[in-house]
Amino acid sequence: MALSGGLSGPALAGAFRDEWGRIVAALIHQFGDWDLAEDCAQEAFALASQRWAADGTPARPGAWLFTVARNRAIDRLRRAATYQAKLKTVAATAMTEGTDEGADEEVPPDEGAVPDERLRLIFTCCHPALAMEARVALTLRALAGLSTAEIARAFLVPEPTMAKRLVRAKHKIQNAGIPYRVPPAGALAERAAGVLAVLYLLFNEGYSASAGADLVRRDLCDQAVRLATVLVKLMPELAEAKGLLALMLFHRARQAARVDSKGDLVRLQDQDRSLWDSAAVEQASRYLAGARDQGEVGPYQLQAAIAGCHASAPTAGDTDWRSVAGLYGQLADLTGSPVVELNRAVAVAMADGPEEGLALMDGLAGAGALDGYYLLPAARADMLRRLGRLPEAAAAYREALALVRTEPERRFLEARLAEVEVEF
Amino acid sequence: MQYMLVHVVDDELAAAKPWDGAAPASLEAWLDQTIGRGVNLHGSRLGPASDATTVKVRRGELVITDGPFAETKEQVAGYDLLECGDMEEALEWAAKHPTAQVGAVEVRPLYGDQPPRSLPELARGKRRYMMLVCSDPAVDRDELGQITPVEPWVEEMDGRGARRFGSQLDEPARARTVRVRDGQALVTDGPFAETKEQVAGFDILDCADLDEAIEVAQKHPMARHGILEVRPFWPFQED
Repeated sequence: MALSGGLSGPALAGAFRDEWGRIVAALIHQFGDWDLAEDCAQEAFALASQRWAADGTPARPGAWLFTVARNRAIDRLRRAATYQAKLKTVAATAMTEGTDEGADEEVPPDEGAVPDERLRLIFTCCHPALAMEARVALTLRALAGLSTAEIARAFLVPEPTMAKRLVRAKHKIQNAGIPYRVPPAGALAERAAGVLAVLYLLFNEGYSASAGADLVRRDLCDQAVRLATVLVKLMPELAEAKGLLALMLFHRARQAARVDSKGDLVRLQDQDRSLWDSAAVEQASRYLAGARDQGEVGPYQLQAAIAGCHASAPTAGDTDWRSVAGLYGQLADLTGSPVVELNRAVAVAMADGPEEGLALMDGLAGAGALDGYYLLPAARADMLRRLGRLPEAAAAYREALALVRTEPERRFLEARLAEVEVEF
Repeated sequence: MQYMLVHVVDDELAAAKPWDGAAPASLEAWLDQTIGRGVNLHGSRLGPASDATTVKVRRGELVITDGPFAETKEQVAGYDLLECGDMEEALEWAAKHPTAQVGAVEVRPLYGDQPPRSLPELARGKRRYMMLVCSDPAVDRDELGQITPVEPWVEEMDGRGARRFGSQLDEPARARTVRVRDGQALVTDGPFAETKEQVAGFDILDCADLDEAIEVAQKHPMARHGILEVRPFWPFQED
């Protein structure tokens, strides 16, 4: 990934990935100023890119970077006219005289561990009073260290638009008084769900990016996985964080197999399973087991468990469809989503036969909650085809074709319609 | 009789600092006059619409949204609370306010009698917010039944020092809006914007942070029937 500030070298790239969010979070906590925190973190990495190449990487890169960044911040505040006012808020924290002298020249050796305030930062970036798009952008800027230009490219908007979005969000945090803290117990569950939603959105943005898309866009998946890993570490009690991380890892394990050479999506049952990343599957399974052990079931954990059923089947035919159907049933109870009900019907059909599946789908069609959703008639058509009721299958395929919006799906349905029409 | 002057300007202008075009000198003079004569009880510029947050409760779920209660070109940018003999006097003062020249001033009588009071000093560690209580025509009143009385909420929030002032406003149909163009005051009937949602009242809140303000708003009975917009007062100290 291209880092701003001309950073290079594997040690530095690694430090950037591991330490940026930590340093920014600690600086915001200490000085209450987002721009100051980002600017000083940036300067610390810039200095590191000069020094580390010549002097070697320090024993504790994080502490080195944090010390430089903090001294820069103190230095700037000293020079600012509002120094006195700010000093009052800084006084409570451990600021010692003289640590800033010649920060450029003399970098003090390691000074204890960098305090980890990233949880505050995550919850503040994902505060519900910010627009969803601002939450995503702030998270990428403050926690992952992406530049404004990189975030703009990833979300396919002009850079000034993204810059304005970030400035407005930071203004709002400051002016409207969005607190920099982990929410109290009463609000924690709801707010944590909001954080997970931001990370999942981030992941899906990257996951849906085509192979030809900008690298920074595809890289969003890695950023989401990285941030979810941090969250799992910082909030081990949050089972759904592990569930989400497992879900992301299962999906990412299949990434290489889900698009063919023409760029078309390959259905799960047609994917070349030898292309699946078995190490990622194993890692995902471990997080899923961890979530399960906590005895608390949530939607991400259930989706991960479904993905796990697919991932552990050597061939499509080996899939444990009865388990998949049961998990979809639990998920439907939890979310009340008719789309989940449709998935359950498909799994039931795989486990018990098309007749059972069709009965559930007919029930869904009768309820009307999925009117206009092409996958319902498409799934019904598939059941009817397998039952040999070809004229009815053809009618259902035509119904689905009238609703489908995307080209690859249209091509798929047309091929299927042609097949059943030939047969009767 | 108390009247609320709602200052509305183009949102770009509302967010600008300093307040270009609104002639700070004439604002000073207006404040000197209204405060000097004991007409002006309190007032403040508010943070821009981009600092606003709306709060509502639907089907028991708290819904928090970024932005103001209605997307209009002109946005609420400040308010003044005046004690006047009648609407005509309030309109005269409104026409002299600089925002009438660059935007508009909506004048709304407060509902019922209120003793004339000024706002207490803001305590250390607290922030001040304007909470606009707005109607939401999308809510089916019949389905929700009777609106819960607001008095217990007022009592609770006054008691813990979170609410400093507040009132229901007279219905939007009784509002008048003043715009001064080329030295001519144009007074129209009704509120500043023809939106489906309308301001029905307001409360001034002193809270530790936005989370507390959201919690206070969430407990207001109108959270279930309407929309509550929470907007910070313009910060006194700019840094």
